[in-house]
Amino acid sequence: MVLGVSHATAPVEVRERLHIPEESIPQFLNDLKARGLAEGVVLSTCNRTEIYVNSQSQEEATRIIGDELTQKLGIAGDWAEKYSYSLSSTGAYRHLFLVASGLDSMVVGEPQILGQVKDAFRIASTSEATGALFEKIFNRAFQAAKRVRTETRIGYNPVSISSMAVELASKIFGEIATKRILVIGAGEMCEIALKHFKKEGVHEAFVTNRTFRKAQLLAEEIVGTAHPFEEIPELLLKVDMVLSSTGADMPIIAKELVLSTMKKRRGRPLFFIDIAVPRDIEPEVNEIENVYLYDIDDLKELSQQHLSNRLAESERAHAIVDEEVTKFELWLNQLGRSPVITQMLEKVEKIREAEVKKASQRLKNVDEETLKQMEMLTKSIVNKIVHPHIMLVKKNGSPAVIDMMKSLFQLGEEDEKNLDSGDERE
Amino acid sequence: MSPQTPLFIALSLYIISAIFYLVYLLNRNEFYDKSGYYVLLAGFLVHLSGTVFRYVLAGYTPITNLHESLSFFALCTAAFFVYLRRSYRIAGLGGIILPFIAVMLIWAISIPSPIRPLPPVLQSFWLPIHTIFAFLGNAIFLVGFVVSIIYLLAERDLKRKKKLHTIFRSFPSLETLDRINYRCMAYGFPSLTAAIITGSIWAETAWGHPWNWDPKETWSLITWIVYAILIHNRFVIGWRGRKTAYLMILGFVSVIVTFLGVNLIIGGLHSYV
Repeated sequence: MVLGVSHATAPVEVRERLHIPEESIPQFLNDLKARGLAEGVVLSTCNRTEIYVNSQSQEEATRIIGDELTQKLGIAGDWAEKYSYSLSSTGAYRHLFLVASGLDSMVVGEPQILGQVKDAFRIASTSEATGALFEKIFNRAFQAAKRVRTETRIGYNPVSISSMAVELASKIFGEIATKRILVIGAGEMCEIALKHFKKEGVHEAFVTNRTFRKAQLLAEEIVGTAHPFEEIPELLLKVDMVLSSTGADMPIIAKELVLSTMKKRRGRPLFFIDIAVPRDIEPEVNEIENVYLYDIDDLKELSQQHLSNRLAESERAHAIVDEEVTKFELWLNQLGRSPVITQMLEKVEKIREAEVKKASQRLKNVDEETLKQMEMLTKSIVNKIVHPHIMLVKKNGSPAVIDMMKSLFQLGEEDEKNLDSGDERE
Repeated sequence: MSPQTPLFIALSLYIISAIFYLVYLLNRNEFYDKSGYYVLLAGFLVHLSGTVFRYVLAGYTPITNLHESLSFFALCTAAFFVYLRRSYRIAGLGGIILPFIAVMLIWAISIPSPIRPLPPVLQSFWLPIHTIFAFLGNAIFLVGFVVSIIYLLAERDLKRKKKLHTIFRSFPSLETLDRINYRCMAYGFPSLTAAIITGSIWAETAWGHPWNWDPKETWSLITWIVYAILIHNRFVIGWRGRKTAYLMILGFVSVIVTFLGVNLIIGGLHSYV
């Protein structure tokens, strides 16, 4: 099951509080293990904090995770009811697949999330918190993500945070070719955003980071200059835009600093782009005259407008995810549950294939796109119809239910034999 | 040819240009910017020739009554817009300023104004100098006023982080608007100052005293003080953006009172209408 908060359910303030820094994840997973949750993965990014665990009881696991988080992060205990979601079995798999594919991201289709999920899984497996089941689930999730990326156009034209920021910059400054940018932090987000600004022709780039070496590396890569962290106040006088994405727990840039900077700048406008969670720049900075501050949530709001034309592609991507989820469940079932499920699925798959074949023979001049859509549509219908039956068998595998399924799906004599041998295996 | 005829032609061209610029606001297609500009240029040249034509017919600078003043105001505004267009990408502003120009000219044309002999009090070497400075200043401040309003609206949307309205996307960036505003004060203020100084020299010869506290004089002084404060704050304190925009708007309200309010409502030594 999974318990989490994301940009869809919780405001940035709550997400900030629930952010679990990378270095404390192994400890957290150990604590969960001590309380009986053997397998666990923690995914904590700017936009979500999610904990995946393997547990027999959803309620119990929810309670344990809730307790641990409330204790560890010292926040009011009612956050879980207000902002979190908790999903189990199919819902949880689907959620993970959607997250990994970038379909649950703030900017739909963005590619960074897959790397973050991979990292989360890597951390968990080095902490020995993953077993065979989790390995399989996550590998399937990566596979689903890959399919979404290669088979749909979702990821091809990503409406990225940085392009939104560039557009805003051009509303404030017009041409950005004469403007200078300061980048605080040297992480992946900074790098991507900075490259984007560079591509749009930003005049000069300064990079600063707590670890100076990292700033130097990024500066070298994008042709900029690296500066020690302490120089930020002076750098603020030289630049027009500030892009910040550090892992700092407390804001780096306070309102007072910006106020005094603006006096020295004689009011020349300053545009802050804060893509860090927790935030690097105090939100009150936006109240200062000639200062514009956009945080990651603001950029999200704006990028929503681009979302509508992606809906069609998004539907296809969801169909892929559904298919992958079903495949995964099929595997789960084969892992040792009732073989009648496998038979049911094989049976409907045969029917489906036969019907698709018939239909495509009847249709003239079908192009590949239509065929693909037909495949997807039928698969998705079949899966949705079969799903409740599978769940029933899984919950209640009594001979009466199995008999009922057999007659419902007309599973014949031949299948009966397989079923028996399957029972023996169990 | 009646002296009105060129004005009608100029007006038609201004209206066509305004339509082009309004379409530009909606679709940001360069074609409409260019077309609007060339039609405006043609309108301006016809308007200018019409003004020269009236000068020839009348034998004096035709800025002596409301009809002539409004027409000249519109002419100056068109000239200043053409001037700005050469240094900034201001296509978006055309959709607002061109309608202003057209309305001024419609108003001017609606006031019948046969050419009459010039009243003796206006027969002076200072007439063209004083009035041209005054209306050049007015036109520049009108542009500053429009730019300031757009600035405030666009800035508010950016601060509130709202999706930018299509029309606001067509307007120049905040920085460009602020720079135009700066130019407006840098050119408008000296014009106004020159108009006041030449006016007082003329007043000394015509009325015997350089400053008579006539309503128009008083209001132009108020206007001058508003812009003086603005210039001071911009250069000395470093005001920018929103605050300067508010003062630009206030300044233009004062310009309107000086120009129209005094002529139409208050009266005084300056009313020749």
